[in-house]
Amino acid sequence: MNEILLVEDNPDDVDLTLRAFAKSNIANEVVVARDGVEALDYLFATGPHAGRASAPLPQLVLLDLKLPRIDGLQVLERVRANPRTRLLPVVILTSSTEQRDLESGYKLGANSYIRKPVDFQEFLEAMRHLGLYWLLLNQAPPQSA
Amino acid sequence: MLRSKRGTILLQLFFATAVALIIAVGLVSVGFVRSYARTVEQLVLLEDLPRAMAALAASARPAALRLSALITASVALTIALLAIVYRQLLREIRRVREGERALSVLTSQLRQRSEAAEAANRELEAFSYSVSHDLRAPLRSVDGFSLALLEDYGAQLDEQAHSHLVRIRNATTRMARLIDDLLQLSRVNRGELAREDVDVSALAARVVADRRRQEPTRSVAVTIQPNMTASADPRLLRIVLENLIENAWKFTGRQEHAATEVGCHRSKNETVFYVRDNGAGFDPAYADKLFGAFQRLHAVTDFPGTGIGLATVQRIVHRHGGRVWAEGDVDAGACFSFTIEPPPTNEEQ
Repeated sequence: MNEILLVEDNPDDVDLTLRAFAKSNIANEVVVARDGVEALDYLFATGPHAGRASAPLPQLVLLDLKLPRIDGLQVLERVRANPRTRLLPVVILTSSTEQRDLESGYKLGANSYIRKPVDFQEFLEAMRHLGLYWLLLNQAPPQSA
Repeated sequence: MLRSKRGTILLQLFFATAVALIIAVGLVSVGFVRSYARTVEQLVLLEDLPRAMAALAASARPAALRLSALITASVALTIALLAIVYRQLLREIRRVREGERALSVLTSQLRQRSEAAEAANRELEAFSYSVSHDLRAPLRSVDGFSLALLEDYGAQLDEQAHSHLVRIRNATTRMARLIDDLLQLSRVNRGELAREDVDVSALAARVVADRRRQEPTRSVAVTIQPNMTASADPRLLRIVLENLIENAWKFTGRQEHAATEVGCHRSKNETVFYVRDNGAGFDPAYADKLFGAFQRLHAVTDFPGTGIGLATVQRIVHRHGGRVWAEGDVDAGACFSFTIEPPPTNEEQ
């Protein structure tokens, strides 16, 4: 319940994000998908995750953009196109602030766009705010709306 | 163009000559036939039929011969003239065809070049996109795990080890800033210049407000002249003001009463905008080095920076057809001025 799906291919970033969550007292279970295909399999209960058909959706998806196989923007597009996941809160969490990433991200229906700061303390602060807002303050959309 | 004009004139000249010749032959033959008919008429009136017949026979042969010679000559001349005209025409057609071929070669060369330029542009964009995404990630690891070391194993590390780790983290911060500044410098060349009427005073006020938020401990007296406007790309003009105002704040860091002024004045039919401060200034002997990328006139330990900010300012001002220059002296403050060329009018385009 109330899990976070972290879509991130860089193992260092995975460790640092988990560390930031732990330091910010975010106790939600974190599921890691290492590319777009894994993320979509998890969300749509396909492939190795076929058994999850009736499992609830994660409370929040943290989506990196540059990913192997299927990139973040394509993941977002498919999530928004699927009636089961179209309302799922998706926060883009990436390195760049390229104009076209921001534009495509919001056009495709991202709920938020956060740039990962290089300074870990700033990153920690960003994760703390993010957890506070999306996991506590924000009212989640109804499931399978 | 000139050649084909000459060809047309030649053609007209030849046709005029041919027509004139044909008319001349016609006139000569009509005259001859008339005088011949008159002679015969007179002789017939005299009823001297045998003489008339003889005269007719005597004069007809040479006259007919002359006439046929004249007609043959003029026909031959006309044919010769037409042949020359035809050859000239063929030559003209060949020239035009050669011109067309040369033009199509040039057009395809031009197309190839613009395709190459487009490819280079796409490559550059892909490059900076990759820099933007991939170059920062390792820095996050370096900084994050250095901090993890300090936090998790700090007790086992001596003072020197702590100091090393702090240096590593400071270096990653500088590197991250360098990457961001370089990306910004490469971005100011991309895209169309989207000019609009900009309220420069309001823009400067927003930039100063941002600065105050980012450096809440600094106290800098800022005056902004009201009602300044310019026709410029607001996104790029903002980068200019951000860099100049950030510099003013940085170099007044050691001043007890730091002051910055943003204003403009008219000079020789142009508006000169300026950002002035009462900070550390610079040695005017090196003023020309200020705007080169990676050029710095101060040690990083005195005033941190990447040396890319003013190069970015210069690039943006040049894209607006303006000039940028700096005045100042050591410990006497600095004044950075720039102009924004008005957009070209329709008549000039």
